[in-house]
Amino acid sequence: MRRARRPGRTLAWQVLICLCILSIWQWGYDLHDRLPWLVPDLLDPYFISKPSDIFEHFLILSCLKSKLGVFNGWFNGEFGRCMARSENNLWIATAVTLKNTFFGFVTGVSSGFAAGLLLGRSDRLSAIFQPFITAVNSIPRIALAPIIVLAFGIGDTSKIVTSWIVVVFLVFFNTFEGARSIDEGFVNAARLLGASEWQITRTVVVPSTMAWVFASLTPAISFALIGVIVGEFIGAERGIGRLIIESEARAEASGMMVAVIVLMLVGVALSALIWRLQAYLLRWQQHNLAE
Amino acid sequence: MHASQFVASPVTRRIDVRGLCKTFQLAGTAIEAVRDVSFSVRRGEFVALLGPSGSGKSTVLNMIATLVKPTSGQILIDGTPVVPGQATPNVGYVFQRDTLFPWRTVADNIGYGLQLAGVPVAERKERIDACLMQAGLQDFGNAYPSALSGGMRQRAALMRTLVVEPQVLLMDEPFGALDTHTKIDMHDVLLRIWEREQQTVLFVTHDLGEALTLADRIILFSARPGRIKESFEVDFARPRNAVKIRETPRYAELFQLIWHSLGEEFIKGRSP
Repeated sequence: MRRARRPGRTLAWQVLICLCILSIWQWGYDLHDRLPWLVPDLLDPYFISKPSDIFEHFLILSCLKSKLGVFNGWFNGEFGRCMARSENNLWIATAVTLKNTFFGFVTGVSSGFAAGLLLGRSDRLSAIFQPFITAVNSIPRIALAPIIVLAFGIGDTSKIVTSWIVVVFLVFFNTFEGARSIDEGFVNAARLLGASEWQITRTVVVPSTMAWVFASLTPAISFALIGVIVGEFIGAERGIGRLIIESEARAEASGMMVAVIVLMLVGVALSALIWRLQAYLLRWQQHNLAE
Repeated sequence: MHASQFVASPVTRRIDVRGLCKTFQLAGTAIEAVRDVSFSVRRGEFVALLGPSGSGKSTVLNMIATLVKPTSGQILIDGTPVVPGQATPNVGYVFQRDTLFPWRTVADNIGYGLQLAGVPVAERKERIDACLMQAGLQDFGNAYPSALSGGMRQRAALMRTLVVEPQVLLMDEPFGALDTHTKIDMHDVLLRIWEREQQTVLFVTHDLGEALTLADRIILFSARPGRIKESFEVDFARPRNAVKIRETPRYAELFQLIWHSLGEEFIKGRSP
């Protein structure tokens, strides 16, 4: 008999591992002089900063503390003045990056889905477009980012376009495969019950492709974020990618780490959102009612 | 067959099949599946198409259902030729394997045809509930098909076809995948429905016992290429009981008679 899973114990392990990593990160390099053979140079806070510095920097970048290390008051207007003064504070940067990711994701998913359905259900169209799709798909999409920034400028549009171009193919291919592998029995059943072509698309093709589409959405949201960040690296006035570039110019590891950690949290939150949506829309896939 | 005979009584003839042929192209070779099949089914008659596998009986049914395009020949339902690829009104089809939509609940599956026809929600619900009751699935309306047993699924699939009240029912070995007991249960379910609604039924099977239990007439197909070999009237009284009928001497008698003829085709179909 398998031992019953104990969520408490799993969580304890996870917390322990977290604490280990943070401790090594925070104090590991202090041992460098005494134990040089054990502690690699890479642990140098100059490169990877350390948790306390990162937290301090987080407070400064988010206008909660001034650059002198004093907490900005809410009521005395210090916080507000800081927010107004720094163009690319953490709040604005996160909001801008999230907004562009969202638009890149939504446009990429919807256009990839529509194109996938259209070509997946039409042998003629897929035959015509097949070589073009293979060719364009062979380009590493990120290589197009400089061209996109050149064409669309350093504003938000170029980030959305970069994000769109990395997302659209991913969703397209999954939808296409899904539309190709539809059980014709379902299509025939619907047709014999009097469904029109449009009704078949709506009530059979779309729902049976959903599982395939959702399989691509979790990577798609990460891709969308990657597209935006790369776009911001190339040229932007605001955004988390811009924040990273600024910190890099000042050789400020803690600033970069703040940005990276915010990106990580954003990524986790977005993936969780997709999971919730998937669990709801694909609830028929759960076999919990059996027996 | 004389042409005038063919249009003689459109009132009593529901399904008319004339000179139906089908040749499939498989990897460059022509395979003749159905050769010159002609028969007709009266209004309200229950006809079984019986034959060994590969005798083209399912192909004939699928041509009538418009799923397969005939190579030549004519199919009329209520005197109107069917159009391949286009559903014929008032004709229902039950598949060999259940094709319930896994993303819809049982109730939504049954209500699918009504939804397509734009039946208002309140009426839809009423008719779905009646169907669930009839199929003994009243507690499973909100379940997804994956939670159901094979027999329950096939009952739900039957109801999805019946809910729109088709006058012609085409059934392609609908109980073929079920175990013997579930199968006989299904026979009783189908007999009760048919005795009440009196649809015209064309039922494909390779199971002689099933054909005898259900049908008024059995059309026996020969091994490939499929042709009609013989036709048998099944004269058991109605209403029938799927269990009791198998105990009667007349059943044994008919079984033996048809089995002999069917057996010849099994053997023929077996040899390469």
